[in-house]
This record gives sequence, structure tokens and C-alpha cells, in this order.
Amino acid sequence: MLICDEYLTPASLDEAFAAMERHRGRYRVVAGCTDTLPWAREGRAGDVEIPVLIDVTKIPELNERHVGDTRVRLGAATPIQRFLDDAALGRAMPAMPRCAVWFADDQIRAQATLGGNAVNASPAADATPCLEAHDAIVELASSKGRRSMPLREFITGPGKTQLAEGELLTGFECDAFPGYGGSFEKVGHRRSLVISVVCLAVMVKLDRDGRTIEDTRLAIAGIRPVPRRLREIEDLLRGKPLAGALLEEAADMPLDLVQSRSRQEYRRDVVRGFLVRGLIAAAKRAGASPDALTRELEAAYG
Amino acid sequence: MVDIHLDAIINGRKVSRDVKPHLRLLDFLRDDLNLTGNKEGCGAGECGTCSVFVDGVLMKSCLMPVAKAQGATVDTIESLAKSGELSVLQKAFHKAGASQCGYCIPGMVMAATAALRANPFADREEIKERLGGNICRCTGYQKIFDAVELARDVQNGRVPATALLETDTADGEVIGKNVRRIDAPSKVSGRLKYAGDMTMPGMLHVQVLRSPHAHARIVSIDTSAALAMDGVESVITAADVPGKDGFGVFVHDQPIMARGKVRYVGEAIAAVAAEDALTAKRAVAAIKVVYEQLAPVFDPDEAMLPGAPVVHDYAPDNITKHIPIRVGDVEAGFAASDLVIEESYSTQAIEHAYLEPEAGLAYVDHDDVVTVVSPSQNITHHRHMLARIIDKPISKVRFIMSPVGGGFGGKEDMIYQGMLALLAMKTMRPVRLVYTREESIISTAKRHPSRTTLRMGLMRDGRIRALAMRMVCDGGAYGLSTEGVMRKAAILAAGPYAIPNVQIDTYGIYTNNTPSGAFRSFGALQTQFATESQLDIAAERLGLDPFEIRRINAMRDGDMTHTKQKLGSVSLMRALEAAEQASRWEAGAPTVRGPSRGDLNHDDVRPSVTLGTRFASGDASSEAAE
Ligand SMILES: Cc1cc2nc3c(=O)[nH]c(=O)nc-3n(C[C@H](O)[C@H](O)[C@H](O)COP(=O)(O)OP(=O)(O)OC[C@H]3O[C@@H](n4cnc5c(N)ncnc54)[C@H](O)[C@@H]3O)c2cc1C
Repeated sequence: MLICDEYLTPASLDEAFAAMERHRGRYRVVAGCTDTLPWAREGRAGDVEIPVLIDVTKIPELNERHVGDTRVRLGAATPIQRFLDDAALGRAMPAMPRCAVWFADDQIRAQATLGGNAVNASPAADATPCLEAHDAIVELASSKGRRSMPLREFITGPGKTQLAEGELLTGFECDAFPGYGGSFEKVGHRRSLVISVVCLAVMVKLDRDGRTIEDTRLAIAGIRPVPRRLREIEDLLRGKPLAGALLEEAADMPLDLVQSRSRQEYRRDVVRGFLVRGLIAAAKRAGASPDALTRELEAAYG
Repeated sequence: MVDIHLDAIINGRKVSRDVKPHLRLLDFLRDDLNLTGNKEGCGAGECGTCSVFVDGVLMKSCLMPVAKAQGATVDTIESLAKSGELSVLQKAFHKAGASQCGYCIPGMVMAATAALRANPFADREEIKERLGGNICRCTGYQKIFDAVELARDVQNGRVPATALLETDTADGEVIGKNVRRIDAPSKVSGRLKYAGDMTMPGMLHVQVLRSPHAHARIVSIDTSAALAMDGVESVITAADVPGKDGFGVFVHDQPIMARGKVRYVGEAIAAVAAEDALTAKRAVAAIKVVYEQLAPVFDPDEAMLPGAPVVHDYAPDNITKHIPIRVGDVEAGFAASDLVIEESYSTQAIEHAYLEPEAGLAYVDHDDVVTVVSPSQNITHHRHMLARIIDKPISKVRFIMSPVGGGFGGKEDMIYQGMLALLAMKTMRPVRLVYTREESIISTAKRHPSRTTLRMGLMRDGRIRALAMRMVCDGGAYGLSTEGVMRKAAILAAGPYAIPNVQIDTYGIYTNNTPSGAFRSFGALQTQFATESQLDIAAERLGLDPFEIRRINAMRDGDMTHTKQKLGSVSLMRALEAAEQASRWEAGAPTVRGPSRGDLNHDDVRPSVTLGTRFASGDASSEAAE
């Protein structure tokens, strides 16, 4: 049970910083609360008494959304559901809608925020590998000023980030990838409401004929302390003709990705299958020429 | 505490109130507004029965601080049936028989309402996906999906509204017919009151102190600080029990709160009744217990060894119950067999996971009748036990069975009713206890974990000549239903097979683990898992079809079971045939299967696990995201 004496909902950043200053050492920031409330239960943190909760979801800047042709800016309080509601956003970040359908369930993703996912920094978080594939920059602010850094520097380990005392995550800025095909592969113990055992974000851009891979982005999570971009695979694929043998070659690159403590062999098998399947799905959504990939390949990894 | 002044529109009415800042929207709706239709099943966003609309968007109200509802429009399950007239979806749930225990149903109906709002043409796969945040433990979901499809078709004019009402029982026959459940409207509307939904004027809230140790002597319990707290009415321990303490289905070995020592992590030690649950919680935290650690035993085989820690003094060998069965001469049977297979099997503890965590309300009525309202699966037995424990004549003890939000055997034990009765007697006020999901998992019975060794002797033609089984079950810290589970496990161990020589021993053993108790199948699963697995192994070794080896050994009409019951009619052959057909079984020994399988990947077989049907379905918002 999460017990507080006061629940504040500041209407601006300044109000939030003032509250944080006033209650220094006695508050906790919350957004969607979907990590915080389950955390404050028996078997985890148990009953937690926090004098002041500061809810940042009503701060306008944290709800901003700018979708441009080359860049996207998203406020930290953006709920995961937006990637399913906002068509322009879905086009600019084509793996994210696919990630969103796998994220918790219809109810929770209406509440769970992108910022919460990043600050919570779970190795099994689903949104962070997508953001990593977009080279996302996190924007931070405190009463003393603002700073920004790449997401991959911000998340330093399981549950660990560079967020400083008195600081808020205000938003993300990242590349837009309109015209890319996106996919998100995820497996856990069931379909909905499941923690990723492995998850993979893939984006592919093809040439006009749908035969050559012009660009691709991949990032994987669930199998290491922090999400990992798969640049080696991106480099291998970029500029090559789309073909099943190439995708399998990519999946077979000896990258030694699985660092989990449990079920390593299983995870390695999954990673290989996900790489091929994710690339096929993203390529198809990018308009792959019908004869570029064989039906046998699709059936094998379907 | 700084109250929040909340202004919101709830089920169409303006609400303007001061609320405690730590409440979740669910607490506010249920406790402050008495809108108990939506339930709490897990408190952690997993089960979905708390789902409500907030500004038209379905949310899990157990994960939402009430302050987030400031200025919002909130609609609960109570909003759907306008003036008692069920919505199309609610009628469809009724018609399709989509409710069993009913505890998940308010959330299911809400999620289904949201699904058909998002896509009025959603197909079954998309419906499944959109209901993915809601868990049902009883129905297996199929009837729920049937109901949503029916409602969709009625809403879209594809089938007439009369389809919601049709029954095929016009001529008054009910057996074998599709009958509408008479209790369904109360469940689909959220109007049915489970124990945790009930309140009484002046009611106190109960919280329980539980043991952090598996095996320890209780040196002292100091409740003075808890009792001194504002709002605390009473604190009880084993010392307050007026009668002969002890409950259990077969042996009365479990005190209503730990007496002298604790035997498992999670065992109740003391209980507090206070004006509100938070005060009771804080009082529980203020109780001081001094323990002296005792060596624990967690493995039933180790518990059977000489010198093992003793869990109960009355059972120095830690054996709760041993059930032996002897038929014929197994050694002679093995000697005469062509093939003898010996294997070992194990099964694990399983939680019932009924959607309704334990809850109960107790009061002493105007005639001094101690009354306990709870979802007990065994009220008459509980009544007799409680009368002895609280030292009252049976006429002064009453049990009322509240709707059971799923039981599966897990609510057969009188785990908390004794504490409630005692607190009602002490305070002379109504008292209510509602378990959290975690508390339910920690402290209540599980399915018996088992270890089995099985020897089976067969003839070359597949006939079983002898079967010898020894199963050791972890009964945990208290007896509960262990004796009955061991009996049924033994009785059914050799399966529905005519075997001339049988030797079976089942043992229920005390350990310092969570007690094991009644759980669907009541022991049959554990022994039959071994026997049926062994039959598959035998089929492979003998080159027989697994169905065939079962037919060869099947008991027939008039046969005698291993425990000497004469069987009038045996439906095993029909069951085998139905299973064979439904699974598209490809006849032959398990080793003959070629590289391709004809039994898989038919239209009625679910493709590999994936999500995202909504992208293909034409749901405008998601499609656009493509
Ligand atoms: C049933 C269930 C299923 C789930 N399924 C998934 C899933 O499939 N995939 C997945 O990735 N996650 C899942 N989650 C986890 C959770 O929903 C996500 O991590 C979510 O993104 C957290 O966001 P939030 O806004 O709810 O976080 P909160 O609980 O509000 O906050 C989480 C942490 O972030 C901090 N924080 C939040 N916002 C800010 C900010 N702007 N500045 C500074 N600090 C901030 C908080 O202080 C807190 O420490 C699930 C959770 C539940 C309960």
C-alpha cells in the first residue's frame, strides 16, 4: 500500500520544482503510477509511507507532442496508448504502435507513460528499446536549469538512471522514420500483461522497388541490463539486396547478446528467430517486393 | 493528511467531496461511494476486475490515485444497466452463460464494452486481444468471447435482439439443455455483493499480523502499543480463544492464530480491529513478537527421516496420513511381466488463484448469535468447529455463505473466520477482513506438491499386470484436507484400468511450508499424472498406440475397482473416442510419426502467439497508425 499525506498535481514545471524544493527529501515523483503502485505492495517494497507524491502528468510541457518530418518530440507524460491513437506519430515511429499493442493491456497503456518507462529503467521495459532505435535524447530539467543526453547514457543499469535529485524528465527528442516499416517482437509467459523475456524493435527502409535495404534500425531488450542497439546488424544489412539468406546471416552474427542469468539457451533461440521474423515483418510493411522473400522463409519464421 | 477536494461526475452524478490523498480511485468508488460493482482482485493492475471508464477511456482503478479523477467523468459497471435494464452486452453475457463465480465479470463487461466501442466489428481474435487485460479463472474465456460476439452481432443488426433472450427450455426440460443462469443478471450488473463488498454500520476493519518465520517458538507477544493507538478497538491473539482451539477438515491441528509456535511463513499470529484499515495496518506493525528460531524442515522426504524437526508434537514422525492399498501380489505380477518400467514424477504446489481474495464479515446479533458471513465452501463444518473454539452452543453460532468468487477447493478451510468471530465478540461491533492478493497467496492452502515413484509391469500385448506406487506429498504445516487428498489420490492412483496386482502408498507429510489443502481433483491429479505418463512411456516401449494401450486395460461395465467398488457403467471408452477425434489423433505408436503432422494447424487451431489483429481489422485509429 502506498500511503501519502499529500498528493500534489502541479500545473506547471515551476510549480513542480517549487513543490520538490519545499518537500525535499520527503517526496516522490509519479506519472501514470503503473510501476509505483505495484511496487508498494507486499513482497516488493511492502507498505510505503511517502509524505508527498508529486504527479507530473498535468504539466503541459510533459504532454507536448511535435511530429515533424525528421524529428519527433514527445513529452515525458505521453501515455503509451498515443502510439495507437495518433496516426502521424505512428508513421514517424513505426515500431512503436507494434510495441504498444504488446505493452501491458488496453487499460494500463492508457495510463502508463513513456517517461515512467525510461526512469523505471527495467531491463524488460518495452518502450525503451524502441526509443533507443530512434537514437532518442532525453530532456531533463530542474530548478537550476536544463540538460539533455542520449537515452543510452541516461539508463545506466537495471532501475538506474542519471536522473539527479530535484530533476524531472521532461521529454524525448528523436529521429522520425516515416516510410520505414516497423515491427516489434516480444515473448513472455502469456500474451497480455507480460514481462518481456525477449523483445526486439525493428525498422526497415527499402528502396522504391522494395528490393534493397536502404536503412534499418534494431534494438533489443529483456536479455541484458540495458537495451542494446544492434549496430553490427544494421551495418551488415544497409545497402544490401533484401533476401532471406541475408536476414539469416544477420541473425547468425556472433554477437553474444544474451546476458540474462536464466534461460540463456532459450533466449538465444528466441533472439535468432525474432531477428529474422522482425526483419521480415518490417520489410513487408516497408513495401518489400513480393518476390524478395520466399514463402518458405516466412512460414519458417511466421 | 491533506484531503483532496474532488469534483467529478460519477455515473452521471456530480460528486464533490473531500477524500484522503492516499486512496486509489477504486477505494474511493467502493468505500466512499459504495459503488462495489467493480471489484479488487489483485490490486496490482493484473486482473482487470476494477476496470472503469475515466473520461470514456477504460482504466484500472486499482492503479489510479483518486486525485487523477479530478474533474473527470467516471463510469463504473453500475452505469451500464440504466434503471436496471441490462445493456446488450450484459444480456449477451447472461444468454451465453459467460459468468460463473462472477467476480471478474464486472471488469469483463467493462472491457467488452470498451472493445465494441473501439471497434463495433471486432472479430473474435480482436476481442480476445482487447480483453487481454482481464483475467477470468472459471470460464476458460470461451463463453465470454461468445457473449461479446453475440452482443456485437445484435448491435450491428446481424442477429435479432430476441437472440439475447431465447432459451431452448420452452418445454420445461432443463437437463442437457442450454439454460440461462438465474444468478447471471446480478453478476453482469455488479449488483451481487461478495463478502468484501458488504458493510454494516459501525463496522471495524481487521488486519492480521503474520509470521515472517517458518518455524519458531513464540516467546512473547506485546500488543500494548497497538492497543494504545487511536482508533484501535481490539487486538487478539491465541490467548483470547475461550474454547478448545483447533480446526481442520480431518484433524483439528490448526489454531485460529499461532499458539506457542509458528509453523509456516504467513501464519496468523494476532489480529487487530480498528476504525479503518490503515489504522489497523499501523497497529499490526506496532505489535512486538519475540521469537526463538527452531530448525525448520521444508522437504517431506527429509521430514520422514529419524531426527527430523517435528512440526506437531502429536505426530513425531511428521506423518499426517498414510494410505496403503494392497490388491493381489505385485512382486509376483512383476516377475510374470514382459516389461517392467520404473520412473519417478513430481508435481509442484499450485495456487488456486480464485479472483476473489478471502474476505469475511462477522457480528454478534441481537440474540447473541455469533454470525460469520464469508465465502466458505464448507459452512456447516465450520459452524461446528467454531462453536467448539469459541465455546458456544451450536445454536449461538451462525455461518452465512456469501457468494464465492471462485473457490476450487481453496475456500474449504476455516483460515480466518475464527479471528473474525472472536473480534466481533470482543468488540460487539461488526468486523470485516479483506485479504490482499498477496495475503491470499501467502497464507492459504495450495495443491499438494508430490513426489512419486511408479513401477509398472506389462505384458507384450499391453496388458498391465502389476502397479506399485509410492507417493510422498508435502502437506505443509497443517493438516487441512491432507487426509482426504491422500485417500482420493490412492483410490484413483491406478487409474480406470483393470490391473490384477496393485500396491499403493500415499503419504501426506508435515513440513514448515505453506499448508496444502483441497484443490480441484483432490489428489487424483498427482497420482494419475504418474500413471498416465507411464502409460505413454509403455506405449512407446511396446510399439502400441497410446489410445490402444488404454483401451486394452480399460475397466468395463461391471468391473471392480482396486478399492472394491463395483462399477455399474464405465464411460471411459466413449471419453477416449471423443478425445481421439477432437485431437485428430494419428493412430500408431508414439515413435511412428513422420516429419509432417496432420493434426496441427487446422482452422480451429490457434496460430502461434502474436498480437496486433487490430491493425488488420480496420480499426480506424490503429489502421491510420500503419
Ligand atoms: C500489469 C502491468 C503490466 C505491465 N506491462 C508492461 C509491459 O508490457 N511493458 C513495459 O515496458 N512495462 C509494463 N509495465 C510497467 C509500467 O506500466 C511501465 O514501466 C510504465 O511505462 C511506467 O510508467 P508510469 O508513468 O506508470 O510510471 P510511474 O509508476 O508513475 O513512475 C515510474 C518511475 O518513474 C519516475 N518518473 C515517472 N515520470 C517521471 C518524470 N517525468 N520525471 C522523473 N521521474 C519520473 C517515478 O518517480 C517512478 O520512479 C506494466 C505494469 C503493470 C502494472
